[in-house]
Amino acid sequence: MNVTSDQGEMIRFLDEQTLEVNLPNKLGYERIAMDCTASFARIVGFVPERISDLKTAVAEACLNAMEHGNRGRSDARVIVSMNFDGQTFSVSVMDEGEGIVELPEDPDIEKKIERLEPPRGLGIFLIRRLMDHVEFNKLSDQGNMLRMVLKMSRSH
Amino acid sequence: MQQNEIRIEQRDSVTVLEIQGDITVFSEPFLNEAYTCASNQGAVKILLQFDGNAYINSGGIALLIQLLAKARTRDQEVAITGLSAHFKKIFHMVGITKFAKIYDTLQEALQKMS
Repeated sequence: MNVTSDQGEMIRFLDEQTLEVNLPNKLGYERIAMDCTASFARIVGFVPERISDLKTAVAEACLNAMEHGNRGRSDARVIVSMNFDGQTFSVSVMDEGEGIVELPEDPDIEKKIERLEPPRGLGIFLIRRLMDHVEFNKLSDQGNMLRMVLKMSRSH
Repeated sequence: MQQNEIRIEQRDSVTVLEIQGDITVFSEPFLNEAYTCASNQGAVKILLQFDGNAYINSGGIALLIQLLAKARTRDQEVAITGLSAHFKKIFHMVGITKFAKIYDTLQEALQKMS
């Protein structure tokens, strides 16, 4: 539920299974979202291996949001919302950009070494490999959201 | 801004780059300087020794790919040690292991590379 405060700020009320981190658009600050997500996943019982996967996926989603979604704008924000429903741990990373028009192809390391394709462009690949489910959604008028899911059944 | 401290040490025929700190896009000047310095000293076998607790992101992996690309053109052998189990998995996933062997320990790397 969202309400507007007397000062005109939007206040989002979250349920008891949801946490949210609101980051400035600054490279390096993705570590805050990583650490917060890792703490939450640890509390609800995920094993260290899967928490490491989650940390990398969250970091890459935040970096994409900062660099590509928000295009490095210092006045933009990245909102990371995480929820655990008892079975699935989902993380949504929202930016103020236009979203991904076309998903990039998987990277080809040989082409990268031969300098036939740029060395960057690994983020989406890593997220898709590490998470159980990934969605890319354009939000109606607020920007773009990447939602990723980790299932408890795979994590023990 | 994040900084890396990189110590270059010659261990017989192997040049070890001991890299302290996270590996991200901010590591570029530090990695480039260390690699150039090692190459100018005639390094043929280069071992990248990472801090096991380091955070490595896609920007950092891209820098390593660039380093491997340069090393290939100079016929240098590059290997890696000091990675956590998670980043060993990531490096396999990306394909870095096709171009750089990963060793569990410094001793194992030095023994196999010498």
